[in-house]
Amino acid sequence: MSNQHNAPLAGFTVVEHAEGAAASYAGRMMSVMGATVIKVEPPGEGSALRRAGPLLTQEPAASALFHYLNAGKQFVTCNAESADGRLLLNGLLARAELLIDDTPASRRPALGLDPDVIAAQHPGLVFLSVLPFGASGDHAHYHAYELNVFHAGGEGYLMPNGLTLEMFPGRPPVKIYGHFAEFIGGTSAVCAGVAALLVREELGGQFVDVSVQDANVSVGCFAIQRLGDGVLENRHGRSFKYGGVIECSDGYVGVLTLEQRQWEGLVKLMDDPEWARDPALQEPLERSRRGAEINRHLRAWARTQRVEEVVRKGQALGVPLAKYNEPADILESEQSKARGVFAPIDLPGFGSVPAFTAPFLLNGQALGLARAVRRPGADNEAVWCDWLGRKTAELDRWERHGAV
Amino acid sequence: MEPFERGAKLKTGMPPLHGVRVADFTLHAAGPFCAHILALLGAECIKIETAGRPDIFRKPHPVYGRMGAATFDQVASNKLSVQLNLKHPQGAELAKRLVSLSDIVAESFRPGVMERLGLGYEALKAVKPDIVMVSISASGQTGPERGYAGYAPLFGAAGGLGTLTGYEDGPPTEIRHVMDHSTGLTAAMAVLAAYLRRKRTGAGQYVDVAAREVACGFIGDALLQFAATGVAPRRMGNDAPYMAPHNVYPCAEPDSWVSIVAAVEDEWRAFASALGRPEWLSDARFASAQARWIHRSELDAQISAWTRKRSRREVTRILQAAGVAAFPSYSAQDIVDDPHLNGRGTIRSMAGPNNESRKVVGPPWRLSRTPATLERWTPALGEHNDRVFGGLLGLSREEIDELVADQVIY
Repeated sequence: MSNQHNAPLAGFTVVEHAEGAAASYAGRMMSVMGATVIKVEPPGEGSALRRAGPLLTQEPAASALFHYLNAGKQFVTCNAESADGRLLLNGLLARAELLIDDTPASRRPALGLDPDVIAAQHPGLVFLSVLPFGASGDHAHYHAYELNVFHAGGEGYLMPNGLTLEMFPGRPPVKIYGHFAEFIGGTSAVCAGVAALLVREELGGQFVDVSVQDANVSVGCFAIQRLGDGVLENRHGRSFKYGGVIECSDGYVGVLTLEQRQWEGLVKLMDDPEWARDPALQEPLERSRRGAEINRHLRAWARTQRVEEVVRKGQALGVPLAKYNEPADILESEQSKARGVFAPIDLPGFGSVPAFTAPFLLNGQALGLARAVRRPGADNEAVWCDWLGRKTAELDRWERHGAV
Repeated sequence: MEPFERGAKLKTGMPPLHGVRVADFTLHAAGPFCAHILALLGAECIKIETAGRPDIFRKPHPVYGRMGAATFDQVASNKLSVQLNLKHPQGAELAKRLVSLSDIVAESFRPGVMERLGLGYEALKAVKPDIVMVSISASGQTGPERGYAGYAPLFGAAGGLGTLTGYEDGPPTEIRHVMDHSTGLTAAMAVLAAYLRRKRTGAGQYVDVAAREVACGFIGDALLQFAATGVAPRRMGNDAPYMAPHNVYPCAEPDSWVSIVAAVEDEWRAFASALGRPEWLSDARFASAQARWIHRSELDAQISAWTRKRSRREVTRILQAAGVAAFPSYSAQDIVDDPHLNGRGTIRSMAGPNNESRKVVGPPWRLSRTPATLERWTPALGEHNDRVFGGLLGLSREEIDELVADQVIY
């Protein structure tokens, strides 16, 4: 359920002038946390992300990704390439506390979005720039999608490990599902954006330059530390020596025992087998050395076991284990239901559908999604006329001229 | 004894969390990364540990089959370190006094541990009514699986992200430290928002972050697709629906790769032209995005034949000049050597524990008026005991010595 009372960003207005997943994710999280987020799209068909996979329907193309990223926002259209459009956008920015923009830096001046101009016109506005390589630097002009920034951040080179690598050692590195690197960029952007909002009353607005690559390098900082310690990580060298992804009779579990008591729990879970009684295996380094041998036993045992039982019994013994959950498992799990982290939204053609809200509760309550995605410009009248005081006749004229 | 200065009033040039104090009870990776983000933004972050059971990442660890190179330093940089034995009643009492002088509390014990120590949210609210507290755990503080133990790959497993990651014909795949750190980053985002709310309303807040739900957040589109249609995406390697080329290609040097994506027709045409393959534009197999996707294996084989003869930097240079998204698969060495990242200060040099110069990851944002900061390398365990217990809590030398002798400051 919607939880405006706890929503920490209630009362803030955010303008999201963004095409990419990173900036859209930043807007999403601000919206989920209570901000009024007004998404500005090009007139006509709106954002290209509306047609990006995975799709709910092919014809017309309806993107599950777009619905996920944009439920909760308001939808206006505005063509900032036109003078009228720039005027309108400026009017909107005058009423907002924060702008999220992912226009390539070189195109910003033509759209009236040059950071210096914005700072002069809207001194109280936080300009949150979210770009693959940031707004400045040697690679600032580089073009990149998710796969590129994932590899620019360092984690791409290190994937996969464990069982996947063991089975396919010669294949190219594999990406993490979906838009992982871009969502990291979006989350990092919200951190910096909210930090800028914190000081806005005392110091005014500012330009916040967020790079998706920077965010991913930061999140992948252990590899940099290891390099400083003299170890250059690669995907072959960083696999856990035993445990990892283990196939059971009806699915996969993950197992990782970092502490002695966890290893002892795992041995108990397997019913104290003969091979595990070898006193040498009490030593963690010896276990690492004989990881392949341990995994042979562990895998043979697991193939006779059912996932749910292994996880339940193992967790009771203090063994860190988890099922590799499918989407159906997550939606139907008692844990998800108890947490309340799915909220219903209306999807055209599908009715009310549970959508994931946010991975945290505030004062014990899950957050909500204020509204479903609407068509491009669905909120034009509400925003341009009712809120900003423009006349309906003006809206008609802008529509005719392609400004909205 | 060193006096404890909270610092001057916030001014331009100072970090945005200047004057904000964090009592940091977190351990391992996810929680410390949350506190690390707050510390980079300028919060005075006091990390509370005990020699009885120091942060597992601080000590040598056989996790990769070697007793060394633990992974602690980077996320503990910028923090102050104090020792407190929280199992001792006086230790818990001192922790409460520290909280009463703090703005934010962060912890990442198993659910229930802070309550058992007398340091749960309600107890801390009693000593600091407007405290903002964040708890970071595997499955959250509520629900039937709240007590489940976990590490990064298991958060990725339970949250579905690991299930959907991997080759189409292969098993699920472990998500590693980035799962921990993205959980910490998410927690920092939520706690910053909660702190902003406190600043505006005066009300504290309790933030309960579940690492597996952070993984769910990364597959929110897949969850929605399944909920609506009953069909979920499968593992698909490096594929993206109806995009080709969209892959990682081998280059001339050993184990060197370049990522290439041409998502729209303009990019496809530029790509074919950059590779000197105009005939591709009239090839029926590659006539549309859908056709290219169907024939992506053949296309990938031809692209690989081209990339194999070149370095990844050369491929990147040629394709970026043509407006096509391409970038090398960066190792840690590539990252620290990258002029762009060094120029932005994302990578910088710092003095390490032995005064050696080492490359570290700096703050990942550029705030024009209130820049984030990385001032200090990792503190030794208890390095700031005197400063915090003496300067901040006002204990005398004798009192501190007695608490050390009693293994309270331990």
